[in-house]
Amino acid sequence: MPAATKLSVMVVDDQLTMRSLVRSSLQQLGINDVREYAGGAEALASLNARVANVVISDFNMPGMDGIQLLQAIRAQPQYKSTAFILLTGRADKELVIRAVKAGANNYLVKPFTAAILKQKIEQVVGALT
Amino acid sequence: MGQFGATTATNGADGTARKEPRRFLNPHDGCWHTQIMQGEAYVTTDGSEVLTTILGSCVAACIRDPALRLGGMNHFLLPDGDNRDGGGMRYGVYAMEKLINGILSRGGVRERLEAKLFGGANVMASLSDVGSRNADFAERFLQNEGIAVVGGDLRGTSPRRIQYWPVSGRARQLAIVTDAGKLVQDELREARAEQRESEQESDVELF
Repeated sequence: MPAATKLSVMVVDDQLTMRSLVRSSLQQLGINDVREYAGGAEALASLNARVANVVISDFNMPGMDGIQLLQAIRAQPQYKSTAFILLTGRADKELVIRAVKAGANNYLVKPFTAAILKQKIEQVVGALT
Repeated sequence: MGQFGATTATNGADGTARKEPRRFLNPHDGCWHTQIMQGEAYVTTDGSEVLTTILGSCVAACIRDPALRLGGMNHFLLPDGDNRDGGGMRYGVYAMEKLINGILSRGGVRERLEAKLFGGANVMASLSDVGSRNADFAERFLQNEGIAVVGGDLRGTSPRRIQYWPVSGRARQLAIVTDAGKLVQDELREARAEQRESEQESDVELF
């Protein structure tokens, strides 16, 4: 069971307000190592500098979108233990299926509660302590 | 004029079940009038299309890219929230994101976007902060995202009807005579229903 305080999470979304919401929800779970990025390319560069346990990424972003970021991460074997959770709009099942095929570990439907965020993170890394 | 191909509800763009917009061709002005209901976001490039909505405590953001002459409107109310969990704010963020993504996905550029905000009236003394809370959220969101506010009318105590021409950026506000208390109660009920629906949907398991 991973300790929340030991988890490193990246949040990738082009909207600052959404990133702030996710960060504050993560902090409620005791996860304080949170890095925020507005786009896929800068997130990937940061991941190359320091790996993360979990990447939570929006799909709709200018430049590299969420699926392209996922594909870039999965193309590099050193990130095979990095879990990827895609943020999607409601009922976007086709996108979820694409994400699963590309190697996503889970997805989060916006707007979501901190309780659902916790559930999704625990599904990919195990129960938090 | 009035081709559905030129006008798209953003609901479909981010995967939400697409609803056909409520729209009709007004013989008096020759314009398509599209009504934006609570929870919806809609984007158009049709210069003859006017977006309309009725607001009590709800807020409508009218956002456009003037260089591309495209834009749209959303209509939302933050549900009463649990503040430990971002309150109802996440619903407002989602409403704004649907509209902005609808514009960006058609080639709009974030740095060029301009907005007009309407609504957020405190029409009932017993619910004195509902409208203000929504107006405050909308202003704070646009400030955070660096989107310029170029007009609009927030707060006050009276319901309004809004008309917005996204291609030109023109907006018009009309005072309406209605049962303001009932309007706001309906808005709150709709916001809570959307919250329940959203929470149920988040539980769908594909894994």
